[in-house]
Amino acid sequence: MVIRTVSESPSLAPLFAKAALTQRGRHGDLPDSALRREGVVVDRDHLLGYERVCGFGGGDVLPHTYPHVLGFPLQVALMADRSFPLPLPGLVHLENQITVHRQLTADDRLDLTVHAEHLRPHPKGRLVDLVTEVDVDGERVWEGRSTYLRRGRTNADADRGGQAPPLPDRPPAGVIRVPEGQGRAYAAVSGDVNPIHLHAITAKAMGFPRAIAHGMWTAARTLSALGPGTAGPSTSHVWFAKPVLLPSTVELVVDDAGPITVAGLRSAKNPTTTHLTLTLEH
Amino acid sequence: MAGTYAGLVNSPVGRKLATQLGLPRPATLRRYAVGEPLVEGSVLVGGLGPAPVAERVRALLKSEGIDTVDELADGDRVAAVVADLTEAAEPSDLDALRALVAPALRGLRPSGRVIVVGREPSSANGFAQAATRRALEGITRSIGKELRAGATANLVLVGDGAEANADAAVRFLLSGRAAYVDGQVVRVGPGTPTEPADWAKPLAGKVAVVTGAARGIGASIADVLARDGATVLCVDIPAAGDSLARTANRVGGTALQLDVTADDAGRQILDHATARHGGLDIVVHNAGITRDKLLANMDQARWSSVLDVNLGSILRMNEVLLADGGIRDGGHVVLVSSIAGIAGNRGQTNYGASKAGVIGLVDALAADEGLRARGITVNAVAPGFIETEMTAKVPFATREVGRLLNSLNQGGLPVDVAETIAWFSQDANAGVTGNVVRVCGQSLLGA
Amino acid sequence: MSPSASSSRSASRTSGQPRRAAVIGGNRIPFARQNAAYAKASNQDMLTAAIEGLVARHGLAGEQVGEVAAGAVLKHARDFNLTRESVLGSSLSARTPAYDVQQACGTGLEAAILVGNKIALGQIESGIAGGTDTASDAPIAVNEGLRETLLTLNRAKTPGQRVKALTGLRPSQLVPEIPRNVEPRTGLSMGEHMAQTAKQWGISREAQDEIAASSHHNLAAAYDRGFFDDLMTPFLGQTRDQNLRPDSTVEKLATLKPVFGRGEGATMTAGNSTPLTDGASAVLLGSDEWAQERGLPVLAHLVDAQTAAVDYVTGNEGLLMAPAYALPHLLARQGMKLQDFDLVEIHEAFAATVLTTLAAWESEEFCRDRLGLDAPIGALDRDRLNVNGSSLAAGHPFAATGGRIVASLAKMLHEKGSGARGLISICAAGGQGVMAILEAA
Repeated sequence: MVIRTVSESPSLAPLFAKAALTQRGRHGDLPDSALRREGVVVDRDHLLGYERVCGFGGGDVLPHTYPHVLGFPLQVALMADRSFPLPLPGLVHLENQITVHRQLTADDRLDLTVHAEHLRPHPKGRLVDLVTEVDVDGERVWEGRSTYLRRGRTNADADRGGQAPPLPDRPPAGVIRVPEGQGRAYAAVSGDVNPIHLHAITAKAMGFPRAIAHGMWTAARTLSALGPGTAGPSTSHVWFAKPVLLPSTVELVVDDAGPITVAGLRSAKNPTTTHLTLTLEH
Repeated sequence: MAGTYAGLVNSPVGRKLATQLGLPRPATLRRYAVGEPLVEGSVLVGGLGPAPVAERVRALLKSEGIDTVDELADGDRVAAVVADLTEAAEPSDLDALRALVAPALRGLRPSGRVIVVGREPSSANGFAQAATRRALEGITRSIGKELRAGATANLVLVGDGAEANADAAVRFLLSGRAAYVDGQVVRVGPGTPTEPADWAKPLAGKVAVVTGAARGIGASIADVLARDGATVLCVDIPAAGDSLARTANRVGGTALQLDVTADDAGRQILDHATARHGGLDIVVHNAGITRDKLLANMDQARWSSVLDVNLGSILRMNEVLLADGGIRDGGHVVLVSSIAGIAGNRGQTNYGASKAGVIGLVDALAADEGLRARGITVNAVAPGFIETEMTAKVPFATREVGRLLNSLNQGGLPVDVAETIAWFSQDANAGVTGNVVRVCGQSLLGA
Repeated sequence: MSPSASSSRSASRTSGQPRRAAVIGGNRIPFARQNAAYAKASNQDMLTAAIEGLVARHGLAGEQVGEVAAGAVLKHARDFNLTRESVLGSSLSARTPAYDVQQACGTGLEAAILVGNKIALGQIESGIAGGTDTASDAPIAVNEGLRETLLTLNRAKTPGQRVKALTGLRPSQLVPEIPRNVEPRTGLSMGEHMAQTAKQWGISREAQDEIAASSHHNLAAAYDRGFFDDLMTPFLGQTRDQNLRPDSTVEKLATLKPVFGRGEGATMTAGNSTPLTDGASAVLLGSDEWAQERGLPVLAHLVDAQTAAVDYVTGNEGLLMAPAYALPHLLARQGMKLQDFDLVEIHEAFAATVLTTLAAWESEEFCRDRLGLDAPIGALDRDRLNVNGSSLAAGHPFAATGGRIVASLAKMLHEKGSGARGLISICAAGGQGVMAILEAA
C-alpha cells in the first residue's frame, strides 16, 4: 500500500467541491493507498468546542469519538480523489465502529492513517469502509471504521452485515432537545459542511424536508450521555437509522444491565422511529 | 409629625397669615433625647410657707446642674416654675401661687413647664383646706390653657410624708419626656423609690413585656423602654410577626408571637420572660383593637372582640402575671386606657367600655393589699390624639380637628405615650400608683 | 464566646465524647406560589426575612453566632455570596461569618448537618442553617451564543478583534434562556423521572391523591392549633402557606388531569406534585451550654445524618430513590429499626416519592438486591408520617424545605417528650438523598 503523508489537515470545503465536480464516471477497485498525518497536536480550543457541542465534559481527555473528527478530512480527501471508485456526494453513513485502546489526552502526539477497504455489495447498493488508525509512538491507540453506502444497483442476495440489536423498550433515560442550529454548530467543530446539515433551505435542495443532524454528532451525543467511561478502553458500534430532522426532540434509551450496553435514540414524538442504535463494550 | 395644618401655619407665609387671623400656631415640642439637660435654662422654685417639696426640688435640680432662682428679676426668663402650695389651707393662700407664677409666664422659655405641687383634697382637714387644695387643679388647668409655645402646666399632689417620693414625678414633668402631658394631676403616695445609678438608664437591668409591640404606640413603648435600659419582650399576634420581629431586633429584645386572648397567654409570657430573661419587672398591657360602629348597628362579634382583647385578656393574663411567682416585687404594671374611656366617643361604645374598664381595673389593682405589700405599682396612660397609622386613616377634617382641640394645638406622638409609660415603670417612681395620666396635650375632650 | 462556653467545649473534647448539636428553634416565612405574593422578592430578601424572624424570636440582635450556612438552588450570578449578604442585611452582628451551600433540594438539611457537625466538634457554639428559593425571581441567562460573543468581545484587545467579535452577533441570540427544571444529564424533568419510577413501582393514582389530601388536612390542622405561631414570621402580607387547601379532598384531586408520564399509566397531577414555590427558612442550632446561657430551649438534638446518591443517568434507578439507600446506613449505625421512629418526615416532592420510598423499604427484593439487606426494612405506621403536613400542602421552595422540616420536627418531638426520635428524608436533584435523625431533648 502506498502511504502518502500530508503535513496539514486538508481543507474540507474545496474537497467537497472537487468531489462534487468529479463525481461522474467513477468505477473500479479501491485504490491501494492511504493518507497519513504525523505528530498531530490537538488544539485545545478546538477540543473544548467539540466537547461542548457534543455534551462531553470539557477537558484534556479526548472523547471516544474525537479522533474521528481529526481523521475525517483525510477520509474526505481519500474519497474526493479521482482514484476513489464511488462518488462522494450521496454516500450514506450507515455504521460506525470505534475501538479506544487506551485513553488519549491532548498531550498525545497522534499519527493518523486513513485507508479504504472492503468494497462490497449490499442489498441496496455497495458498501465501503473507511478505516482510521491512530498511533502514538508506534502504538495503536485508536481505530475507527466508518461504513458508507452508495445506493445503486440492488443486490438482494448480498450480505447485510451485522444487524443492530433491537432498541431497548424502556422509558427514556433522558430527553435531548436538538435545536435547529445543531448542524451548523457541529459543522463548525467537525469541518463537515455538507449542506444537508447546515440549513433547511440547502437541505431541501438536496432532497430533505429539513436539515438533518450529523450522524456522528448523534453518536457522540449518545456516548456522552453514557458517562465519562467511554473515553477509556472501549468499543462502540453504531447503526444509523432514520436521520434526526432539525429541530427535534429525541429520547435516549439505555440498557446497561448486560455485559454489552445497548443504547439508542428514538423520536420523542413517535417512539417507534429509531434514529440510532449503539452498543458499547468496555 | 405636626400635620398639614401645622406645616402650613409654620411656613413663612402661613405664619404671617396665621398671626393676622389669630390662628393657633403649633410649637415644636421639646422632646427627650439622651444626654440633654432636664430643662434648658434656670428654674424658678418657690412656694408657700416652708414649702417642703420646693426644698427637695432645689436639691434635685442642683444635682442635675440646673440653676434655680427664688424670685424673678426684671427680664429674667426661666425654663420652668415649680410652685409648692402643699401648705395652702385657705383660699387666700392661693395668691402666693399667683404672685410666684404670674411674673414668670411672659418670659417662660419655649416648651416651658409650670408644676404646681399640692396635697390631696380628700385628706384635707376641714372644708376650707379641702376647697383650697382642689382649687389648685382649676388654677393649673387654666394656666395650661394660657401657656403658649409648647409649655405645659401640671399638678402634683403629694401625700403626707411622701414628699421624697415626688422627685421622679417632678423630674418627669420638667423633662422633655412629658412633652405632651398637659393639664394633668399626678398623685404621689407612699412607697420606697430607688434612684437609678444612671438617670440615662432608669430601667437598667429590668425585664419588660409589651403587648401589641409590632407597630405604632406599642413599638414606640418597646423603643423607649429599651432606650431606658430595659430588656424588652415584644408580644403581638402571629399575623403581625414581621413587624414584631423588626421591633424586637431594633430594641435587642425578643419576639413572642402570641394572641393575648389565648387562655395561656399569661403563662406563655411569664415562661418566656423567666426562661429567656430571668424574670419579669414591667408589664405593659398595650395590645388593643377597635371595631367601631354606632351602638344601634353593633353586632355581638364587634362588641365582644373589643372587650375581650382590650379588657378580658388583661384580666386573664394578670391572673398569672401578677400572682406570686409572676412579676417580681417592686414591679410595675402599666395599662393603656384612652380618652374614649374617659369622655366616651361616638361609635366606640365597645372601645369606650373597655378603656373605662381599664381605669376601673387600675383603681382596683392599685388598691389591692397584696400588690401594695409587694410594692407593685399599677397605673394607666390615656392617650389623646396620637399620630399613628390608625389616625392617619381618619378623614382629613376630623383629623385636623383632633389635632387642634388641645392646648398644644397638635397631635402627640407615640413616643409621648411611651415616655409616660416608661416613667410609670421606674423604680424611682414607686410612689405613683393608681394614676391615670392623660397624654393628650390637655385635650378639650373629656377634660 | 463566653468563658463558660469555652470551658464546656474543652471539657467535651477531653472526654472524647462528641456532643450533639441542639436544635433550638426555627423560623420560616410562609411559602408562596410561583409568581404570586413574592413574585418580586429576591432570594436574599426572603433569606434575610427568615433570619430576621429567627433573630427576633431568640433575641440574637447584635449577636455574633458561630456561622450561618444557607443556600439557594436557583441562584443569580449576583448572589455569589448570598448568605453572607443576607447576614449583613440582618440584625445579627456583622462579624457573623457565613457561606453558601447547595445540594439541590437537600440544601437546607445539608446546611443544618454542616452546622450541627461543627457544633458537635466544638468548632462553633452556635449557628444558623437555612435556605431560600424563588421560582418567580428566577435567573434568566443570555442566549449561549450571545454570551460567547460578549465574552469574545470582552477578551478582544484590538479594534479589529472587537469588530470581528461583533460580527458574530445574531438577532436570534437576543432570545434569553430561561432555566428549565430538568436534570441536565437526562433532559427529563423531575416529574417525568418520578413518573417512570412511580409506574415501575405500580403506585396508584388514588394512593397519591390520599397522600396529597392528608398533607393539606394535616397542615391546616397544624395551623389551626397554632403550631406555627413560633415557627413562622409573616412576609409581604402572607401569614399562611399560599398553596394550602384545607378543603382538599381525594375526590377533588381525582378530577385533575395527569401532567407527568404518558398514556393510561400516568398518575401524577398538579395536585399530587409540589408546585413551584417561593420561600425561605432558617434553623438555630447550638451547643446545650450556649442555649442554656441564653435561656433558650433545646427542642431536640441532631443525632445522626446520612447522604446517598443513585446512578439514575441510564434509567436503572429512580432519580428520587436515593433516600431509600441512605436509611440502612443510619439504622445500622444507630441500631434502630424504621419502626422505632416516633415520627417520620418524608419530603413530599411528589406524593409518589413518598410512596415509592415506602414501597422500596417494604420490598424484600429491593432490600435484598439493591440495599444488600437480609430482610426488608418493613412498613411504616402512616400515623407517624408527615403528621403536620409536608411539601404538597406547604409548597417546596427547594432549599427552604430542609429548614422547614428540621424546625417543625424538632418541635413535634419536643411535644412528644424527651427521647422521642424522628427521621427526616429529603430527595434531591442529581439522584441524591439527605437524611437525618433528631431526638427530643
